[in-house]
Amino acid sequence: MRVVWALAWKEWRIMLDTPLGYVVATAFLLVSGFFFGKNLFLFGQAEMRGYFELLPLLLLFFAPAMAMRMLAEERHDGSDELLATLPTRNWEIMLGKYVALLGQMLLLLLATCLYPLSLSLLGTIDVGQIAASYLAALLLAACYLAIGLYASSLTKRTIVAYVLGLGMLLGMYLLDAALSTLPPEWQDVVALLSPIMHYRYMLRGVVGLEHVVLLLAWTWVFLSLSWFQWERRAWQ
Amino acid sequence: MIQAERLTRLFGRTPAVRELSFHVHRGEVMGLLGPNGAGKSTTMKMLTCFLPPSSGQARVNGHSLDDSLAVRRSIGYLPENAPMYIDLDVQTHLRFVGRMQGLPQGTLADRIAEMARVCGLEQVLRRRIDELSKGYRQRVGLAASMLHDPACLILDEPTTGLDPNQISEIRQLIRRLGESKTVLLSSHVLAEVEAVCDRVMIIDRGQLRAIGTAEELARQAGDGQTLYVRFLDDGRSVLEMLATDGVEAEATGEVNGWWLHCPDADMPLAERTFRAAVAKDVVIVEMHARKTSLEDVFHRLTASRGSA
Repeated sequence: MRVVWALAWKEWRIMLDTPLGYVVATAFLLVSGFFFGKNLFLFGQAEMRGYFELLPLLLLFFAPAMAMRMLAEERHDGSDELLATLPTRNWEIMLGKYVALLGQMLLLLLATCLYPLSLSLLGTIDVGQIAASYLAALLLAACYLAIGLYASSLTKRTIVAYVLGLGMLLGMYLLDAALSTLPPEWQDVVALLSPIMHYRYMLRGVVGLEHVVLLLAWTWVFLSLSWFQWERRAWQ
Repeated sequence: MIQAERLTRLFGRTPAVRELSFHVHRGEVMGLLGPNGAGKSTTMKMLTCFLPPSSGQARVNGHSLDDSLAVRRSIGYLPENAPMYIDLDVQTHLRFVGRMQGLPQGTLADRIAEMARVCGLEQVLRRRIDELSKGYRQRVGLAASMLHDPACLILDEPTTGLDPNQISEIRQLIRRLGESKTVLLSSHVLAEVEAVCDRVMIIDRGQLRAIGTAEELARQAGDGQTLYVRFLDDGRSVLEMLATDGVEAEATGEVNGWWLHCPDADMPLAERTFRAAVAKDVVIVEMHARKTSLEDVFHRLTASRGSA
């Protein structure tokens, strides 16, 4: 784990020393605040459900932006050679990068905890449901970040990595949105595999094991694909 | 030490390195020479486990390349163009590399301070790497490669971008390191290889062309002897006399200046020239022998590929 923490620490330092981290965090919190404030001030609804309904759309744009440079920039700048010739295993590199991303996302989600706290001043809130929603948001973000990391492993260019990541997530989002138009036999399969569908189940306050497992499974699949893509580099 | 046996690397069907075998002993600095695309960097990338060989085997510090982690723990590697994290400051970059190498927290700060002193980085430890000159970046790369005090150093063009003073310092440093460590370095600067390396290996199109000390290579590649001579007046009569002994003359471009080349290495060329000049009553104002240099050897062995 020494290598994983060292890499995560390095990514954090780069994020703190460059504007990109601050730009992404500020933009996320601004848009996030708008989604929350819209329900509260325009529609007079002192609840978090509307915010969490829109969160997948927000993450769809921000997760690839956070992950785009992680592996693509290493290959573009040639620092992958430095990294690959240090005594590290490739899975440790993937995990280190991913831990850094997850830590950033955790901080952003923690910052949004101000919203339910402010609601609690106005009245009673359903703590259990909000906690379940946050867990769902974290698991969905974890899945999206893994997809963003995989997109970053496919190319040397960060902007291409962003477009690829966004494309993959948009495809999943649209498939979920168009679920009712699919043939019935397909609807069951898509509903079973769709991360957003399982996220929505959890928003109801029910943390079913199957929902958690499916979101973690998608995360594992894309982390494994990222690792495989990084391994392939040596043989190309 | 480094032992490579029939090391081969293919890119598609194109061989970048073909059946390369060599040894570098502990306490020895080996220079790797070759024209662009000769396979120098590919050889280094294989020895540092960045690229797996297509066939063949190598051992670095007693570890097979199959035991990649053990090899990478025991080497310090400076890749070509010294890639690094330019958004970090020098100290943070070195700390990251040290932590990845597994240096304990207690000794890491001391090693960074020591390497900063050795590589002349004390003044820029807090500066971001993207604000540094190429020479400084090269020194950061060198410091990072030596941070964990590895038994073997593999340096791909370590003095690129340095000014003459820095080059001299780094050469001295490599020489010093070479007394106790195994050092393999590639360079385009032949004078540098001659000055720093105990032995030299010349490769071309992925194949080993020659290996040995600079003197051994010069002797092996030497084809006769060459003498520079400048006469006070026209010395053609002397040249005609020498031509009967098989000596060829080539004008140097200077007034009455000539290169005399004799295929027979044992013939006393200087004495013959002197005696011929006396016989023809021609005055010699300058005369000296030209030794076969590493540059001559390099050009001879890689001539079909053009420049170094």
